[in-house]
Amino acid sequence: MSIKIDTKSAVTQTLLEQLQKHASKVEFMPNNEIVDAIRLLEDKGIPNNKHEDYKYCNIESVLRKEFKTVEQSFNELTHDDIAPLKLDEAINMVVVNGNYHLDLSEKMVVKRFNILPLNDLFPAEKNRIASLAKSKTDALIALNSAFTGNGFFLEIEKDAVLPMPIHIIYINSGKQNNVVNTRNFIHVRENAEVTIVESFYNLGTGKVFSNFVSEKLIDENAKLTCYTIQTENELTYSVNTNQVSVNKYANYTNTTLTLSGELVRNNHNVELVGENCEASLNGLFITNGNQLVDNHTLIDHQVPNCQSHELYKGIAKDKSTGVFNGKIFVRKDAQKTNAYQSSKNILLSDSATINTKPQLEIYADDVKCSHGTSTGKIDEDALYYLKARGIGDDNARKLLLQAFAQELINKLEIESLQERVLHLFEKAL
Amino acid sequence: MANELIEEHLQNDYKWGFTTNIEADEAPKGLNEDIIRFISAKKNEPEWLLEFRLKAFRNWLNMVEPEWAHVHYTKPNFQDIIYYSAPKPKKELASLDEVDPELLKTFEKLGISLEEQKRLTGVQSNIAVDIVFDSVSVKTTFKETLAEKGIIFCSFSEAVQEHPELVKKYMGMVIPPTDNFYAALNSAVFTDGSFCYIPKGVRSPMELSTYFRINASGTGQFERTLIIADEDAYVSYLEGCTAPQRDENQLHAAVVEIITHKNAEVKYSTVQNWYPGDKDGKGGIFNFVTKRGICLEDNSKISWTQVETGSAVTWKYPSVILKGNNSVGEFYSVALTNNYQQADTGTKMIHIGKNTRSTIISKGISAGFSNNSYRGLVQIKKGASNARNFSQCDSLLMGDKCGAHTFPYIEIKDKTAVVEHEATTSKIGEDQLFYCKQRGIDNEKAIGLIVNGYCKEVLNKLPMEFAVEAQKLLAISLEGSVG
Repeated sequence: MSIKIDTKSAVTQTLLEQLQKHASKVEFMPNNEIVDAIRLLEDKGIPNNKHEDYKYCNIESVLRKEFKTVEQSFNELTHDDIAPLKLDEAINMVVVNGNYHLDLSEKMVVKRFNILPLNDLFPAEKNRIASLAKSKTDALIALNSAFTGNGFFLEIEKDAVLPMPIHIIYINSGKQNNVVNTRNFIHVRENAEVTIVESFYNLGTGKVFSNFVSEKLIDENAKLTCYTIQTENELTYSVNTNQVSVNKYANYTNTTLTLSGELVRNNHNVELVGENCEASLNGLFITNGNQLVDNHTLIDHQVPNCQSHELYKGIAKDKSTGVFNGKIFVRKDAQKTNAYQSSKNILLSDSATINTKPQLEIYADDVKCSHGTSTGKIDEDALYYLKARGIGDDNARKLLLQAFAQELINKLEIESLQERVLHLFEKAL
Repeated sequence: MANELIEEHLQNDYKWGFTTNIEADEAPKGLNEDIIRFISAKKNEPEWLLEFRLKAFRNWLNMVEPEWAHVHYTKPNFQDIIYYSAPKPKKELASLDEVDPELLKTFEKLGISLEEQKRLTGVQSNIAVDIVFDSVSVKTTFKETLAEKGIIFCSFSEAVQEHPELVKKYMGMVIPPTDNFYAALNSAVFTDGSFCYIPKGVRSPMELSTYFRINASGTGQFERTLIIADEDAYVSYLEGCTAPQRDENQLHAAVVEIITHKNAEVKYSTVQNWYPGDKDGKGGIFNFVTKRGICLEDNSKISWTQVETGSAVTWKYPSVILKGNNSVGEFYSVALTNNYQQADTGTKMIHIGKNTRSTIISKGISAGFSNNSYRGLVQIKKGASNARNFSQCDSLLMGDKCGAHTFPYIEIKDKTAVVEHEATTSKIGEDQLFYCKQRGIDNEKAIGLIVNGYCKEVLNKLPMEFAVEAQKLLAISLEGSVG
């Protein structure tokens, strides 16, 4: 694969050159996707704040500042490194630096689901890769498509109801600055039900730009519940794209908790393509220091009689920035749509910033859509109430913030995960 | 049900499409420095104003027409526009009798007869009208009454001649000539507009009103309005317009600037009914307007109220910069689009001072094949402690071929700020219609009632004298679907 780059953006050029040096050939990716990817990157480059979708999240400037050189050298990980990250009640799978790691992953004790490295796929399965997340639509998807690692393909068989959740641990372990493109495809077949936990860690010593793309296809009457736990350290700059397609009577829920990471950008693109399906997107972030967390959601109501709910909460401290950009898109034929969106934020410092942009774009008339967003401080009355009962100022504030966050932490229906997140949340406070 | 009524309405033609035959003193088509010099010379302007125009023009040459708005249209050819057209100058007018009778007829057709104005105002007057008829102000009524109070209310060109120090001081203060593509264009080629100055401690005894009309074929209109309220002053300012039917698209790029000093208040209301194009979306006015006010000093207030029913394409964001402490900004809007109209409108509230408050109430109604967007920005700057904002943006859809969109931007950099935003989109409920019909109210009237109720919050903010016309315009725009 030879790539000729003639782009105005030096950042894009450097990045592509460096990635080419290290990347192995992406065999499972359809050729046209790679062509589209390179074309888009050549034309548009990596998005900066002039790009409307990346107005508050300047990826190009991060790359220019932090990733002048890319090394792509990694530390080896052992079972001991992984052990504390595992969840006892779940089947733990491990993806290291973008590649599905067979040795570190647990052997399958539960039947009726298959997981395979992307390189080992049969042609029929291969065809599904990039069927949802198209290079043409976004520069970061394009970057991923062109240089992705050997991720995994996960399939839940028809009618299978998994008795325990699947826990996928994504780990980066770079020695120096590196760029990791992780990819996966999750296919939940008809009537199947599964809960998937996706945790993200950086155990490396170098800075990492992690560009994650996940395609999730949910067939008729199936149910997929996802919990995304983002606890990467301050060396991590990540863009996470979830491209989801929900079919008839199916149900998709994602709850994303962002507890650390220097820059975290989440793109949740959900297409409701079958009637009577339902999607819920929930999110909570707490930011410290100079962190930037940018949550983008797009719910595309393509057919009638679907429902969507969104609930996002954020707490911004120090000099950090929190962004929520949610779009509800109701197409012409999507009558009887019900779509609700709510975003609530608390600012704890005068140097912190909250930007919100809830959008409705509606082309059908028989719909009920609403969004609400509020940003404010800790309720003085509630604080007074607690203080009047002998609770110190500090503790009272923590209590109120915890109560604010609890609504979202409670959505995690796995006890040990809830405890883990609660602990991390308290630490971040 | 509503669909049928809208279909019916689609058959209705623009009722106020007529042109008046007055010989115009026109500049040649096109735009270059010579044209600007021509306009400036024609208006006998001082050197600094010509410099202002030329600076704006040179900036404009390097600017790109904005494309971010949710509207689609064929871009106007700026070289195909006549930038200056004035009715033949007449000698000083002593009474209304001396005004061109054709002109008077035009206003009569619009229902704003000057005779009536005069009769009404024989003893106690309520509205002063400064008529802009094709770029040049023809007649200013009530001037004397206002002069007694020290209020200056005149055409922009008159202000340039008689109060150059005020114009020079305030013009471009809120909207610099480099602000945006259309503001720069306006700064370069504006021909006339209104100027209003309320001196210290004066409450304007009447509501000031201006009617704008686009007339001679092929003329774009580039007005400039400048309203200044000095300390403790108050004024309620009204602006409204209807335009004759045209086949080609006409460009309208106005600039409105409002400046309030300490404890001052300006209430600006407008009803806009430019020609929206015919039922196939042919013709119609492009309305690309920059309106912005600044609460320069403490305890001042600026309030925008608008009823937008016309124009083929609207691009308009009346904004308030809340610089003074305790200042207040308000935005109340009803935007109605029908047929192939497109509107992208909203507001910006920039909080800089302490304890500043802003309220945004926006009601959108889309029918036919139209698209109606709300786009707004609420920005709380660092140090704007205890800033408060409440925004509500509701959309009503009538028919399944139209679109309603909301694009609010909320940027907060102060921890003591409290900002709330909510938006809903819905259609007229079958149960609401049923309730009305059950009580013997027919379909058309029922829809009228419901839409009026939906807009009530905004219509209530209009001054009494204007509310009647606003309702009339709203009714005409939705005729067939609104009683």
